[in-house]
Amino acid sequence: MADLILQSLDLIIFLSLVILGYISGSMAEKKHYRSIIQREKELLKLPVLTAEGSFRAGLVKESVLVTGSAVISIDYFKRLMAVLRNLFGGRVKAYESLLDRARREAILRMKAEAKSRGAAIVVNMRLETAAIGKNADRKRQLGSVEAVAYGTAVIYNPR
Amino acid sequence: MKFSAKELEGNLNVSPTHPLLDFSWMLGGLIAIIALIYLLLAVGTDLVVEQIPIKAEVWLGERGLAEFPAEADAELQQRLERLLEELAADSDLPEYKFRAYLSSREEVNALALPGGNILVFAGLLDVVESENELAMVLGHELGHFAQRDHLRGLGRGLGLSVAAALLFGEDSAISNLVSRSLLTFQSSYSQQQEEAADAYGLQLLAARYGHVAGAEDFFARSVATAGSRATYLFASHPHPAERVIRLKQLIAAKKYPLGKLEPLADHFTRPATPSAD
Amino acid sequence: MILTNVNSVPGKKIVEHFGIVQGSTVRAKHVGRDFMAGLKNLIGGELKGYTELLQESREEATNRMAEQAEQMGANAVVNIRYATSSVAQGAAELFAYGTAVRVE
Repeated sequence: MADLILQSLDLIIFLSLVILGYISGSMAEKKHYRSIIQREKELLKLPVLTAEGSFRAGLVKESVLVTGSAVISIDYFKRLMAVLRNLFGGRVKAYESLLDRARREAILRMKAEAKSRGAAIVVNMRLETAAIGKNADRKRQLGSVEAVAYGTAVIYNPR
Repeated sequence: MKFSAKELEGNLNVSPTHPLLDFSWMLGGLIAIIALIYLLLAVGTDLVVEQIPIKAEVWLGERGLAEFPAEADAELQQRLERLLEELAADSDLPEYKFRAYLSSREEVNALALPGGNILVFAGLLDVVESENELAMVLGHELGHFAQRDHLRGLGRGLGLSVAAALLFGEDSAISNLVSRSLLTFQSSYSQQQEEAADAYGLQLLAARYGHVAGAEDFFARSVATAGSRATYLFASHPHPAERVIRLKQLIAAKKYPLGKLEPLADHFTRPATPSAD
Repeated sequence: MILTNVNSVPGKKIVEHFGIVQGSTVRAKHVGRDFMAGLKNLIGGELKGYTELLQESREEATNRMAEQAEQMGANAVVNIRYATSSVAQGAAELFAYGTAVRVE
């Protein structure tokens, strides 16, 4: 038995990495989504537009650029899923949730910054996504993704 | 403009399927692909192997021989060839001209190379104790020629690596996994071949000596050095203990008689090497 | 320096345009961070080190852009856009650009 384990050591390492990746990755994802949903509720009242707002004279006290970003890493299981998907085609669910998490987290951080500055509204929000890390320049693999959200926070004059 | 905050239910941007379900589907698909490749390869090589003329084989054999430095010992070579000829005398072997080559390597093994060339390693001659035992090993190699296994193995090995490289690229975890599982299929096939070659060797032995004494001696001797059975799961040859059992079953089933062992004549021992190693 | 990514500075009137200003920086992370990221790549989750690094770099790019605007005599940059690209293995370029203007 010991011989068998030694002989297929790399296979065993591979499988345990996949299992480790699945367990820790899905736990991290669940936890992250819980926190995202909770913070989204808290910040729901702060309006964010992708349009440029128009403001009547005397209303605006100050406007500042606010940004928020997050780099979310892939796990071993997700990578395996993506490689398999490369064979069969179809929706790469593993990456869908990765990108979704990164973007929502970035928007939340931007909103949090706007709120801390006392902004009443964030206008003209833009989102950027980029592949980051060791595997970013390899064709078939994605290491991690960065999402950036930025916009103009507008602070009103006290009435 | 009025702003009213709305909450969203659920997450439309992420597909709702469970990742493990997704994974099992793809794993199933992958296994299906592997099985298909394997079947195609098996059928393909079998078709091609039948068509390869012996001439082409001889050419291949010369290439193969170049990799193993053969020792020039005309006398021993001749004796081995005579034994081979006697063994092959009443068989339905394709029209090979069998040639024996002696390699100075210490391995306890013999090798069937394309073109009817049999390479005998010096280690084997040191270990065997009777002529019958040696004849059984040579008969086993002749069995590979009868089934043209040496060509089949070559074809499949080549096909497997090409298919794996084409499908999955050169270096990825998946490619590794796939070629590994393909090799596992391959090893179970090759174990079957070895068993068939054993049976063929046994038949030749019975025809040459009139009995099959000593048939399982060589494998019985290898059991001690073979290691545990589990490691043979993915090996190209069955575990020697397994082979002894199979041979005994065959002998019982075919009712081969057991006779007296022929001692190994001096002339089959390896010539003394001048350098002391 | 007022920075916005809308066409104007809300509530203020633009009196003078100075043209495009840009700021960029290329950053690589050090080996230790890379190693930790490698580990995180197995188990998933947020790469806090990278997030911080990129955020810092983005601030630097923004500051460089603002400095350019200052040299031009502007007091605001409007219509700012950000871009990120991986230029080489392990290095990323952070880029910011906008229009330098003077407001009342």
